Amino acid sequence: MGRLRARGLLLAVPALLIVLVPLLVDDRFVLKVLTFVGINALVVVGLALLFGYAGQVSLGHAGFMGLGAYTSAYVTVRLEWSWLAGIVAAALVAAVGGLLLALPSLRLRGHYLAMATLGFGEIMFIAFVEAEPLTGGVDGFTGIPYASVGAFEFGTPELNYWLVWATALLSVAVAYNVVRLRPGRAMRALHGSELGARACGVDIVRLKVQVFVLSAALAGIAGALYAHLVGFISPSIFTLHFSVILLAMTVLGGTSSIAGPVLAAALLTLLPYVDAILPGVPESVATFLSEWETDIYGLSIILVMLFAPGGVAGLLRRIGARRGRSSMEREAA
Amino acid sequence: MRLLHVDGVTKRFGGLTAVDAVSFDVNEGSIKALIGPNGAGKSTLFNVLTAYERPDKGTTVFDGRDLAGLGPHQIVRLGVARTFQNTQLFEEMTVLENVLVGRHPLTRTGVLAAALRLPGTGAEERRSREEAERFLRLVGLERHAPAPAADLPHGLRRALEIARALATGPRLLLLDEPAAGLNTAETANLAEVLYRIRDMGVTLVVVEHDMGLVMEISDEIVVLNEGRKIAEGPPRLIQKDPAVIEAYLGEPDNA
Repeated sequence: MGRLRARGLLLAVPALLIVLVPLLVDDRFVLKVLTFVGINALVVVGLALLFGYAGQVSLGHAGFMGLGAYTSAYVTVRLEWSWLAGIVAAALVAAVGGLLLALPSLRLRGHYLAMATLGFGEIMFIAFVEAEPLTGGVDGFTGIPYASVGAFEFGTPELNYWLVWATALLSVAVAYNVVRLRPGRAMRALHGSELGARACGVDIVRLKVQVFVLSAALAGIAGALYAHLVGFISPSIFTLHFSVILLAMTVLGGTSSIAGPVLAAALLTLLPYVDAILPGVPESVATFLSEWETDIYGLSIILVMLFAPGGVAGLLRRIGARRGRSSMEREAA
Repeated sequence: MRLLHVDGVTKRFGGLTAVDAVSFDVNEGSIKALIGPNGAGKSTLFNVLTAYERPDKGTTVFDGRDLAGLGPHQIVRLGVARTFQNTQLFEEMTVLENVLVGRHPLTRTGVLAAALRLPGTGAEERRSREEAERFLRLVGLERHAPAPAADLPHGLRRALEIARALATGPRLLLLDEPAAGLNTAETANLAEVLYRIRDMGVTLVVVEHDMGLVMEISDEIVVLNEGRKIAEGPPRLIQKDPAVIEAYLGEPDNA
């Protein structure tokens, strides 16, 4: 129990810092970038459950984000329902997409599952382009209102930042609870050995469907938050390229970890904006980084796979283990 | 009392009949050994009993219930647990966590209950940890509880799989070569563990090549050869059975 409380504190401190950021940062652009970090973190929490815990790869998560974004846009603009209804609809539609994508996962593993999910993402992309009456086609969907609850509108960058990060931190808390208890252990068991998991009474079909649905719903919510934040969406946002970046964040973050992937999401999202975040970094560095963004992601994945297969989480754990060992040595001395 | 009834089970892979019309019963509270040369169909029979393979013919009845049409996870829930010839541990999880996964069928916390930490999830978790630790002590692994399963010495990996299977709360436990790779001392210790498991009220069916262990622990032995049952009876009769001797002389390595 004492350890649980210590872990709660470990989460509470960064959470508090994240909440305080808008009071310290008065650059609107920086705040917007930090809001995007929150949106990506939300998607990556879902991917961490799916890939880092349950071992099921997805190269289609931008598709789920797009499903959520277009659903909420349609529901709030065309149907003129409330923002909250839009978010719920986005989560539900993306969850149905997750259910559909779970079906191939019951038969496919590894690279073959990656190909199937990649196909799903591409189908979604083409659907966003072609379903013009619903999506606005290549020109995109404009005039999506800010988030609002009743008469209260999240009309400033600060309010949007808090809204996005409240959702992201809530998803982190939920994910932590899930992974530390029975369902999380079943997911890791599924990852470790399907035969072994079944021998322990785990209904792996049900579990895979659950994780895909949960992961897709989180991505759908993130997509909807994005749509209402920016006010405009188009198919060019929800591409395979973005799916790859999301998966890269999860891989760099490390398996069986929530904090690692969230941290990696922050690092990779901020990378192209390094000049705006860190004073003194010349713009040319940021320009270079954003031009070579994809190559840097690719290279960092290769380097992580070669030299730190545990990712960010693995590094954190190693530091934690060293500290634990030295405190044990101190006690022994 | 008859706990397991295997009746005319046949399993073919293409032209090969791996298990050919095999029938036998297992009485509650007994230890039954399943022996035979490599390729005799022992593991295939286990896979059929636990629904990893569908039989082409025949039925298996556990505690009066036909197991046809059930999936592996449902059979575990009825009280039939197993281990694997090639151990199927969760390597990245700790030894304790491996056994905690075994508690899955006896616990309830789902994704929603865990996410919201609904009342009862904490109590269930504590109870599971106590039970898991109890099974680790039973097989002598309590010292290794916090270590990743991947770091476990080879001789202890099968013990962990047994603890994990016990955590599912079985009435019937199927062990596939539990003594494979164990040295003499470890095998002697395994025999003690198996007796303790039986004394807990768990019925055992053991596939095993170590004849010393088989003769010592089993109440009855079923001998398979080329998929067929060629003998069944208590150890001292099996040792003298001409059909058994002939089957094993063909492959003296396994005798």
